[in-house]
Amino acid sequence: MPPVLEVSHLSTHIQLTKTVVQAVGDVSFHLDAGETLGLVGESGCGKSMTGLSIMGLLPNGGHVVGGSIKLEGRELVGMPGAELRSIRGNDVAMIFQDSASSLNPTKTVGDQVAEPVMLHRGAGRKEAHDRAVEVLTLVGIPRPKERLGDYPHQLSGGLRQRVMIAIALSCDPKVLIADEPTTALDVTIQAQILALLDDLKTQLGMSVLLVTHDMGVVAGRADRVNVMYAGRVVETAATDELFHSMHHPYTQGLLASIPRLDQDNRRRLYSIPGAPPDLTSPPPGCRYAPRCPYADEKCQAEEPTLVEGGPDFTRNGAGGSAPGHAFACWHPVAGPVVLEAGEDQGGSEGPGQGDALLEVDHVVKEFPVTAGAILQRKVGAVKAVSGVSVRVGRGEIYGLVGESGCGKTTLGKVIVGLETPSAGKVRLLGRDVFAARGRELRKARRDLQMMFQDPYSSLDPRMRVGSILREPLAIQGVGTRQEQDRIIADMLREVGLPANATERYPHEFSGGQRQRIGLARALTLEPKVVVADEPVSALDVSIRSQVLNLMRRLQRAHGQSYVVISHDLAVVKYLSDRIGVMYLGKLVEEGSGDDIYHRAAHPYTAALIDTIPLPDPGKERAKTEVGIRGELPSPINPPSGCRFRTRCPRAEQRCADEEPQLAAFGAGHVAACHFPLQEPLEVASAGRGASGHAGSS
Amino acid sequence: MTAYILKRIVSAILVTIGVTIVTYLLLHIISPSPGRAVLGLHASQKAVRSWNKTHGYDRPIVVQFAAYFWKLLHGNFGYSYKEDQTVAALLAENVGRSAYLSGASLTLAIVVAMPVGIWQAIRRNKPSDYVLTGAAFTLYSMPSFFLGLLLIQAFALSLHWFPVEAAQQTGILQVIGNIRAMALPIITLAAVSMAAYSRYMRSAALDNLAQDYIRLARAKGLPERTVYLRHLLRNSILPMVTLIGLSIPALLAGNIIVETLFNYPGLGLLFITALQNYDYPVLLALTLIGAMATVVGNLLADVALTVADPRIRL
Amino acid sequence: MTIPEHQVRPDVEDRPEGDFALVQTALAPNGGAASGAGAVAEGGEVQVLASGWRLALRSFLENRLAVVGVVVVVLMVLFCFVGPLFYHGNYLVANPIFANQAPGAGHPLGTDPNGFDVLAQIMHGGQASLEVGFFAAVIATVIGTIWGAMAGLAGGIVDGIMMRFVDVLLSIPFLFVVLILAQKYGASIVDMSIVLGVFSWLVPSRLVRGEVLTLRVRDFVSAANVMGASRARVAFRHLIPNALSVVIVNVTFQVADAILALAFLGFLGFGLQYPHIDWGDMLSGAETALQNGYWWQVYPVGAALVIVVMAINFIGDALRDAMDVRLRRR
Repeated sequence: MPPVLEVSHLSTHIQLTKTVVQAVGDVSFHLDAGETLGLVGESGCGKSMTGLSIMGLLPNGGHVVGGSIKLEGRELVGMPGAELRSIRGNDVAMIFQDSASSLNPTKTVGDQVAEPVMLHRGAGRKEAHDRAVEVLTLVGIPRPKERLGDYPHQLSGGLRQRVMIAIALSCDPKVLIADEPTTALDVTIQAQILALLDDLKTQLGMSVLLVTHDMGVVAGRADRVNVMYAGRVVETAATDELFHSMHHPYTQGLLASIPRLDQDNRRRLYSIPGAPPDLTSPPPGCRYAPRCPYADEKCQAEEPTLVEGGPDFTRNGAGGSAPGHAFACWHPVAGPVVLEAGEDQGGSEGPGQGDALLEVDHVVKEFPVTAGAILQRKVGAVKAVSGVSVRVGRGEIYGLVGESGCGKTTLGKVIVGLETPSAGKVRLLGRDVFAARGRELRKARRDLQMMFQDPYSSLDPRMRVGSILREPLAIQGVGTRQEQDRIIADMLREVGLPANATERYPHEFSGGQRQRIGLARALTLEPKVVVADEPVSALDVSIRSQVLNLMRRLQRAHGQSYVVISHDLAVVKYLSDRIGVMYLGKLVEEGSGDDIYHRAAHPYTAALIDTIPLPDPGKERAKTEVGIRGELPSPINPPSGCRFRTRCPRAEQRCADEEPQLAAFGAGHVAACHFPLQEPLEVASAGRGASGHAGSS
Repeated sequence: MTAYILKRIVSAILVTIGVTIVTYLLLHIISPSPGRAVLGLHASQKAVRSWNKTHGYDRPIVVQFAAYFWKLLHGNFGYSYKEDQTVAALLAENVGRSAYLSGASLTLAIVVAMPVGIWQAIRRNKPSDYVLTGAAFTLYSMPSFFLGLLLIQAFALSLHWFPVEAAQQTGILQVIGNIRAMALPIITLAAVSMAAYSRYMRSAALDNLAQDYIRLARAKGLPERTVYLRHLLRNSILPMVTLIGLSIPALLAGNIIVETLFNYPGLGLLFITALQNYDYPVLLALTLIGAMATVVGNLLADVALTVADPRIRL
Repeated sequence: MTIPEHQVRPDVEDRPEGDFALVQTALAPNGGAASGAGAVAEGGEVQVLASGWRLALRSFLENRLAVVGVVVVVLMVLFCFVGPLFYHGNYLVANPIFANQAPGAGHPLGTDPNGFDVLAQIMHGGQASLEVGFFAAVIATVIGTIWGAMAGLAGGIVDGIMMRFVDVLLSIPFLFVVLILAQKYGASIVDMSIVLGVFSWLVPSRLVRGEVLTLRVRDFVSAANVMGASRARVAFRHLIPNALSVVIVNVTFQVADAILALAFLGFLGFGLQYPHIDWGDMLSGAETALQNGYWWQVYPVGAALVIVVMAINFIGDALRDAMDVRLRRR
């Protein structure tokens, strides 16, 4: 059977004012009927541009400069506009990453879903709206008839993404291009959407081109995977083959760089040095050569082509690769990185036992919601954090994990004093830090520093890096100018930046380098606690592991305590000694990484772990059910009793009537659930009326 | 939504009261003794003082303002001693002509600027865009009276298509009927706002063109024209509504200029005459009316936006 | 009922930049020597780029219209301020004998109804127009920046009251007030600048306040707060320097607007008073002049006015774009 979509030697360039970005270069692949093909790579690798080239939707200045794209034998490159439009949205449909901006804010959901039906099927308004109800039902939107008149902003992110899928499906396309379909969503919603896409694919017999940066997403969903790097496909193989016996060093490095839930966190993460090349002037030979540990002169000079069995297959028969496994490398590797035992970077032997450095005591943070024509009456409150207690020991890394809206970032801000708690206290070494005023407060702040998520907004664009790093010292009056210079130089060396960085401005650094500067700034004052809010979320996988390794190394070297906040359980588990799981303003479970991963007591924790896509095809496919139903309730009106009960499979009447207290499930392992997955330690006295103190170490 | 509109109305009323206080105070500072302005420089101190006393201008400023404000609430804008008429009568006589000039120009400006702005955005960086941008830039940098002079030279003095003066009839219907005489004033007044609106429309449309939902609309296979008409147009017009509301002071200023240039007896010309005569009651009333027009314009723009933009409906 | 977005969903979602990000970063005028090969430090080399301001300057100079604008303004300043040193025409003593002469020997641009030399008038009127434009813009910007920054920094009720005051003033039509004031107080250049400046600070104050409010919630400001920085330090080291680009762009437009406003006043007969003249003044009798066919009394001065205002607007537009380039790389 011929492939539905065949792309051969596709090259796409983007003309900028003065330069040309060679976004896609000589890319070839095919998509069979009913197949899901994964297209993975880091940002800027050309994966989205490939998708947009197929749709003929390139941004301004973008054009296909060579190659062909055939849909069922029809050439799309150079096809007249009208003909192409009759295919677009009809035979080939596309869904985008950001549903919030991809839906027209001023048109109703019904009109937007019906539009392609009216266009391609020539249907009348009535028929088209009937079809809209049909596809909205198909994508699992509850009460679709009522949703027709809604505007996009009235729907949640998950529902909006479903609407976008409905639009794409409305004309029964043969090929669906899904460009980062779940990247903007929370993990629990991501799992729902991915399951939906899978389901629809089999139901409707579509072929899916799944474009994503997340190896975990392709692992469970794709039949075959193309790995892209710097505008080239560097390796292509069946999913299992690719994950278990890859031949390209980039694929190998990329997979090894991902922190994994099932991994021993005492090991350093593998990391790829450097950053991807600038595609306005790509390097002459293999584009990965500058970062590749195996590269030699040949790699620098001559570019390998993507060939089944490798470009040099006559010479290296050793690969023994399966049919359909192609890669572009002169020095192929055989399978995943084997981590050597010597890479152990020192264990987490439960530091800080019994010695609480930071105490977060029943912290509540509510943001008022006001209304009223003249007088701003307070009509309610967003209950961001509702009575959370956490103790962090000396030299301990405490991880705080949860979906967006669970209050973890707010709690982090309360700890460093960026938000004043509505109730509760933050104590450092037993002292209420923010009770102080003026000079005392300024001094006290020194011990609590923060590392921010967004590398683009966390550094003042008008200051040189030297001034940025000097600022904390100047504010706290540390040392003379020469001493400050020395501290700054030391800090730069520690975070792996050249000494001349002090003279440069933030915009001259890459995202990863900026996060290093952010870390250096947080550490210059030698604080007792560093709060790191999503420290690597904005970074690409290969850069992410560099920063994670650096954070661990510096923590071991200086012995500070960290509070690491992330939506990514794998990142938190890799860094942390102890983990707290938050849901809708409450701490629902706390324990060591192993407690959380292997012995989760709270159904939410278990479901959360279940929804995280693993970069392991076997484990991903073995998952049978979608972790968590429904969506996060409003933090203005959280459910009574247990806040998770509306989405919990085990919920009963008691969960609505009575709020569960934290109960112990092991040394340092507590969870708040009436019907836990594990047996609590002392069933009889299960913390009724107890303080609900989370700290148990 | 009703709550929001109500809130907007209340704040508009508060702003109007604030404007009245500030304007009244300002004119009081400029002309602390209305008697002097009325009686002229040659009147004796005593005469001025007694005039002020009879007309209540010797009372404390707060009392004077309260009296003025109370009258204002009853539609009494004071008395023009220079013209020997109530200000209200003067206003009534002229307001129709000015409203017609402003309204017609505003309509013309919007009707021309919107399609031009969208067109430019769609064909950005093409020759037609450059030409139109250049034209808009020139108009925008040109004082309206100079544009008016150029139009008079070309179409009145050289080509004799239109008269040099605007319509001089008293009846508003006759004025409206006299299209030939009103063409140049309306075009002059429209031109400057037209330039500003089309530039704004172009950039609003460009912003929207870069949005993801336009890409999705194209991904549906819609023809470009449909993408623009159905998806781009409404979203680009929305921010224009606010701009039009905000540009009312400029429109009023344009009225003064154009009415003076074309000798068109409206509120603008009344303002200039009053200014030349130091007729402060008229100046105060006209400034207040201008301010109220501005407040009401902004209010209407906000309300219109609330109705038109589903995102603001709460 | 309004709930600010950031309060409902306090966590910024993980949203790796799409491939399109590459287009934006690649916009920087950088040769693009790929870093990484033979990296010295673990974190990689630092690309050597110019400072943000220098990038802005480069982008500004690449804009041909902006360069034309600068050249025109410089030439016009030279013409108005240096020109009179070389060209001595009568612009002070009325002389009806020479009234309304067409351009010719002795009067390159002819004379006006009073017998004044038009070329000399354009030079001296230009001085007044440029000076008033500049001073009024400076006054407006200084007041506006201070007011807006104070409101933005104070926040809460103080901010509310300050901005309501701006709302009130902004509702009073500018030209109306300025006409009334100019008639009484606007005789000299300084007085006129004050009259215009004191009523033009409202828009800049709103801009600066808006900018300060956006900057206040940026992470680098939070970082300074976490370090224990005082309010003054945050304001002077972070907020105001970063809000400066908005101010700089605005000040150019303020100059253009003030020159236009002065022209309006002059045209209506309420501009500067003798012995000062401005360009608007010279056009107050333009309609009669045109009807009489004295074109030289209208077009040269009108052209000077339009060209200067246009040149300044070009500069302002280019500056705005240049600042965007600077911000794009952040």
